[in-house]
Amino acid sequence: MNSHVKIGKDVKPADLSRRSFLVGTAATGLALGYSVVPSLLGADQALAAPANFDASVWYSVGPDGLVTVTCGKADMGQHIASTMAQIVSEELGSNWKDMRVQLASNDPKFNDPVLGAQITGGSWSTMMNFEAMSRAGAAGRIALTEAAAGIMGVPAGELVVRDSVISHPKSKKSMSFADIVKSGKITKTFTPDELKAIKLKTLDQYTMIGVSVPQLDIPPKTNGTAKYGIDVMLPGMVHGAIVTPPVRFGATVKLVDDSSAKKVPGFIKTVTLDDKTGSTTGWVVAVANTYAQAKKAAEALKISYDSGANAKLSSQSLLDEAKRLQGLSDAGQFFVKDGDPAAALGTASKVLEAEYTTSINIHAPMEPMNATAEFKGDILHIYSGNQFATRSGAIAAGAAGVDPKFVVMHQMWLGGGFGRRLDADMMVPAVQAAKAVGKPVKVIYSRENDMTMDYSRPLTYQRVKAGVDGDGKLIAISHDVVSAWPTARWGIPDFLTPSVDKKGPLDAFAVNGADFFYSVPNHYVRTIKNEMAHNATPSGQLRSVAPGWTFWAVESMIDEIAHATGQDPAQFRISLLDGKGKNDGGAQRLRNTLLAAMGLSGYGTRKLPKGEGIGVACVSSQERAAASWTACVAHVAVAPSGTVIVKKLTVATDVGTQVHPDNIRAQVEGAALWGLSLAMYEKATLKDGGIEQTNFDTYTPLRMRQVPEVAVTVIANGEKPTGVGEPAVTVVAPAIGNAIFNACGARVRALPITAEAVKGAMKA
Amino acid sequence: MTTLNINGRNMSVDAVSDTPLLWAIREQLQMTGTKFGCGAGLCGACTVHVNGEAVRSCQTMVGDVAGKKITTIEGLSAKGDHPLQKAWIAEQVPQCGYCQSGQIMQAASLLARNSNPTKDEVVAHMDGNLCRCMTYSRIQRAIMRAAADMRTASNAGTERRPT
Repeated sequence: MNSHVKIGKDVKPADLSRRSFLVGTAATGLALGYSVVPSLLGADQALAAPANFDASVWYSVGPDGLVTVTCGKADMGQHIASTMAQIVSEELGSNWKDMRVQLASNDPKFNDPVLGAQITGGSWSTMMNFEAMSRAGAAGRIALTEAAAGIMGVPAGELVVRDSVISHPKSKKSMSFADIVKSGKITKTFTPDELKAIKLKTLDQYTMIGVSVPQLDIPPKTNGTAKYGIDVMLPGMVHGAIVTPPVRFGATVKLVDDSSAKKVPGFIKTVTLDDKTGSTTGWVVAVANTYAQAKKAAEALKISYDSGANAKLSSQSLLDEAKRLQGLSDAGQFFVKDGDPAAALGTASKVLEAEYTTSINIHAPMEPMNATAEFKGDILHIYSGNQFATRSGAIAAGAAGVDPKFVVMHQMWLGGGFGRRLDADMMVPAVQAAKAVGKPVKVIYSRENDMTMDYSRPLTYQRVKAGVDGDGKLIAISHDVVSAWPTARWGIPDFLTPSVDKKGPLDAFAVNGADFFYSVPNHYVRTIKNEMAHNATPSGQLRSVAPGWTFWAVESMIDEIAHATGQDPAQFRISLLDGKGKNDGGAQRLRNTLLAAMGLSGYGTRKLPKGEGIGVACVSSQERAAASWTACVAHVAVAPSGTVIVKKLTVATDVGTQVHPDNIRAQVEGAALWGLSLAMYEKATLKDGGIEQTNFDTYTPLRMRQVPEVAVTVIANGEKPTGVGEPAVTVVAPAIGNAIFNACGARVRALPITAEAVKGAMKA
Repeated sequence: MTTLNINGRNMSVDAVSDTPLLWAIREQLQMTGTKFGCGAGLCGACTVHVNGEAVRSCQTMVGDVAGKKITTIEGLSAKGDHPLQKAWIAEQVPQCGYCQSGQIMQAASLLARNSNPTKDEVVAHMDGNLCRCMTYSRIQRAIMRAAADMRTASNAGTERRPT
């Protein structure tokens, strides 16, 4: 699909362990950053060309003492830019009121030090950047301290750095960062070894990490001054509105009649996309002077389509195909292959088997997709809030027919991301329209475009078979996961994972989470790509990705086993989290979150009224290698009609180290409510190849009146910081499903949970 | 050409009368604090005040508001220091922030006529404003905080007033 997107050769890991760190005086003050050309140039030589150096600046200290951190991560509300500044500030010793942030371009110098690309997702950012940003901050402190020592004529070792001031207690001399920067030239190079040798602060020495400092991006978000992609205004810019075909993917435009559109004042041109990147099919852009005019022109277009191969498909056909595939013994690849479940199931005293489904879900961030494209000489400038600048730049280049190195991406604040802005489809119409009219063009999706052309969370079908021995011990799980593969669509081999049965790479983002931390001696997980769904509903990464469906199945089945064997569901989980073998460490942390959530919720301490129930779940999202630990206790009331009211969600999460406690709570609460929204209120359906829901009247995320009480407790045990933006999304649905069972005996196995399904399961 | 009174100033916009106010404000006047969310009055991101009432600017046509007093987020207070804006910072409400101009404008129309709302009144008034980051509980807390601050300020004013 993406043969025209040349990303591989341009993505090179920014291996910081082999790079020098440079501190030097530049035109704008003191500049600090990892060197672009490792080991070739010393700081003096690199700084002789300050323009080159400026481009790699991670942060700077101005003559006014302001410290500006450049954030290579997309900030979609997780306040990651502010968090990066906080990590730098801790080691630098700056005053928080002096900290500023700016958003990085797509220059590879700003690539993630671990991932080797500019991509924001997976709750990875804090985890993977903490060390690099800490060392950058510490290197700045050392350089400033040495400079101050020289000026004051005192030993550097006697200086104290605090709140942007370096002082010498013995002589009572002191200098602010601003004074030092203004005092003259500072040049220092840290070799990779020197940088590595810097002793970072320990937990007990932190004064900034662990403090809920005011987020730097919040004030401009209360007065309308924060600039999102949709707010970009360029001189001479015109506007594009898109017309998308009735099918999600695979249509081609046969004929465009724009005779009526031509009568719309301000109309400029109709552009039928020729998209060799495979991001869009059958799209047309109406370009006009204003967006209101472009919309009118778009509505006046008469377009006939060849609707393509997917035009007859529905949600039901995707589900039927999934069931067919699951029934084939040779389909798919293995993600986990421990022991021999078939043999163990043969000896089991009790076997449970169930199927679990999730519906198509839409990201629907509040800021509809948009992008602005401008050709300036040889350079294509793209203005858009995006989570994956490295790939998106390549797609913009593919749409323009230029080399990716000629694309400059201007990052903006994201009006919600949730994984949607990992994609770059919105750049294709902007680029091709700008090329066609010879002016900068801003393309804005209508909400209808945004919903029907989402890279959705795929429809999923899972079948789980479990065996229990005579003592009620879980001895086998065989778990099949059938879905579209969200990440395989990218066509980037590095994002795929070898299958354990050596049948080629698989998309772990379709099955992560199924490799849980419970000790089950015989455990198979098979992942099967549903090609039909993959083609008809190109899927994307929706906040938490696979754990959003794998834990729905796993945590429901664990509960079913506990009930079938007469065990308390929470105690049963604790017994499975024994930390044996490969589960050592993770299992214990997960157990602790479950105990914390149980304690905070008063689990088992009171008798509930009839029709009410408590349910538990615990999850290790995201990837096993980058797992975090979250548990939820849900309290629901179920009416005889099957209507479910969620009364309270109690969530406990182990984050290792808290950088910003208040932000962690905000993220966990937001994620838990996302989980509730997906569990109860959000459902998209495919009919005749198109998504049926077009706006917030039919696709209905959680509103204020539906918000239950949410209690959050955070465990900070001093381990490395984990991500917090996603895990709580995945724990809520199974906790609610399990609570419903305890309330009324109805086992629901399909998301979202409907009153009809609950009532139907009650009778059964 | 239509003349609009926005944030206390008369401004001319070159837009036909059936142009949504939202786009006239954003594109013609380049005041981008008011956001486009759904184009159908379903999400509240585009909320502004017309003669003090909260309206959805995507559903309000330019021709219908000529001569009326329009207030956007940029004009809610002189320095971004309306009690709600201060409360939004104190409670650290915004995540992505995109819906928050609309949330604040919607809340401001409530507090203008009821400085002591109950939680149920807040929910009823705010339920049409979607927040995809789900910052709802902080929005509620911030509205309650702002209301309390407004009452304190007005009580202080009353006490100082000669009897």
